[in-house]
Amino acid sequence: MIASLRADGLKMRKRWANWIMVAILLAWLVLLVYALLYLVVKTQPASLRGSQVPASVLIRQIFPENFIPTVLSTAASIGAAIMIIFGALSTASEYGWSTVQTILIQKPGRTAVLGGKGLALFVATVLISIAALAVSALSAYVVVTVDGSSSSWPAATEIVKGFGALILQLAVWAAFGAFLGIAFRSTAAAIGGGLVYLFVGEALLGSLFRTAPVIKDVLKLLPGINASGVNGAFRLTYTNPSNQVPLVDPTHGVITLLVYLVAFTVLSLLIFRRRDVGGG
Amino acid sequence: MGMAQSYAVETHGLSKRYATGVLAVNNLDLRVRTGEVYGFLGPNGAGKTTTLRMLSGLLRPTSGTATVAGGAPGSPASLAKLGAMVETPAFYPYLSGRDNLRVMARYSSVQKSRIEPVLQQVDMTDRASHKFKTYSTGMKQRLGVASALLKDPQLLILDEPTSGLDPQGTVEMRELIKDLRQGGRTVLLSSHLLNEVELTCDRVGVIARGSLVAEGTVDELRARSGGQALLVRASPIDQARRMLESLLKPDQVQLRDGLFTLAVGPSQAAAINRRLVADGVDVTELRVAEQSLEDVSLQLAENQP
Repeated sequence: MIASLRADGLKMRKRWANWIMVAILLAWLVLLVYALLYLVVKTQPASLRGSQVPASVLIRQIFPENFIPTVLSTAASIGAAIMIIFGALSTASEYGWSTVQTILIQKPGRTAVLGGKGLALFVATVLISIAALAVSALSAYVVVTVDGSSSSWPAATEIVKGFGALILQLAVWAAFGAFLGIAFRSTAAAIGGGLVYLFVGEALLGSLFRTAPVIKDVLKLLPGINASGVNGAFRLTYTNPSNQVPLVDPTHGVITLLVYLVAFTVLSLLIFRRRDVGGG
Repeated sequence: MGMAQSYAVETHGLSKRYATGVLAVNNLDLRVRTGEVYGFLGPNGAGKTTTLRMLSGLLRPTSGTATVAGGAPGSPASLAKLGAMVETPAFYPYLSGRDNLRVMARYSSVQKSRIEPVLQQVDMTDRASHKFKTYSTGMKQRLGVASALLKDPQLLILDEPTSGLDPQGTVEMRELIKDLRQGGRTVLLSSHLLNEVELTCDRVGVIARGSLVAEGTVDELRARSGGQALLVRASPIDQARRMLESLLKPDQVQLRDGLFTLAVGPSQAAAINRRLVADGVDVTELRVAEQSLEDVSLQLAENQP
């Protein structure tokens, strides 16, 4: 499995698409979260003037005291999308290029090949999480410095917990993408299916039917809803009435996400081990 | 030293029926002796690639058993001794040839130091730093062979290694295949260019409709298929045809471009010549036609019920 991990690590490192996705995630954090919110608060457009939260309070979302919930909320949207693409590319491309047959006639068995790929994806997820946290913290520091305000950093335990929460949800989305890649054997289908699920199945239907009696219970089982539940453990230092209350509590969220992580891994392995490669 | 013949590949009743219902390989019993170069022949769709995929562990047999390089197909024990190129060589387009081999070396737990020697062996050192997506078909095939050689395998499976190559590439690949058999390595080779198989293989197996229809040396197969034919040019043609068809069975006589092809051995040449001349037919040409291995394999395949 270590041999496969090293092989997959080399492939990931040399693939430009992976670096571009990481760059998009980090640029999104810097430009569309920190820079944009700072500019909006500072320029005070008409739409913001009637807000329930004054601008002087709202800007605290991008101060160091809130960099954990800010990065987690980004992870729940664009972060999830990027990790689905990341996971899908890592598995579906092997079918698209037929390289799956080339690697399966090397020495490791199928379990070791997929295990190595899973480990490589996990290592990449950890590194992406570190990069996202670091960029978020740096951006928050720059904002508070430029603004001339004062803020405090979260406690070390809070940062470690936030790091764990970030890794967990990004790993689940990466595993989901990898599972779709293996199931569909097509990069386009895996990415398309994953993003449609994320943005239509979870985000749209989740917000439309979150109060419907029966559907609400079904929604509580979905990975995105549970990721939001985990993120609910990291609250902003001020109350924003426009924020939705999570449907599940953080413990429920962590357990459900772990179940999803195991389920996507086991299902991927079952399909990958049993399925014929080529022919018929 | 044991008396028993050892086999690098041995299958018993190997069958593969796809989900579509197509029976691609039917009850195949195949034995490739250790150290030999074995040619696997058959028309398109006969089941060659499906068989090689099963032997490489890519496809699961529907029934039957196989032992490949001492292990079950696809098992780490078998794969450790097997190098294979099945169908089109598939590599990562965004990586160079050398980096592709680095990836495969890592999967195989092979030392990085093996990469340059195999690149040299397939004459790819100069282009190894270029991306795979820029390679010609011939270079892709050569990189596929290099990848198969990384483990210095005891058994090498090459599926259509000259497929899609231009004449120059074909000649180069032919020379490369000749080199691969050195050192006691077992080579299982399928090819459409059968004269290459004829030149390089110790034994040949012919597969048709998923079953092995004949196996042996090239000479043995020729003999089994009827082996040779007589070519006769004579005039007047109509009179010669009537005479030959009365002398032989009608399906043993074929006329194309003024040349009769008679499906009989050279031992009958003198008698046929005497009869034609005695009936007033001028015989201007009479010679033995060697059948190519392609003719033999097709004939053996057609002879199957």
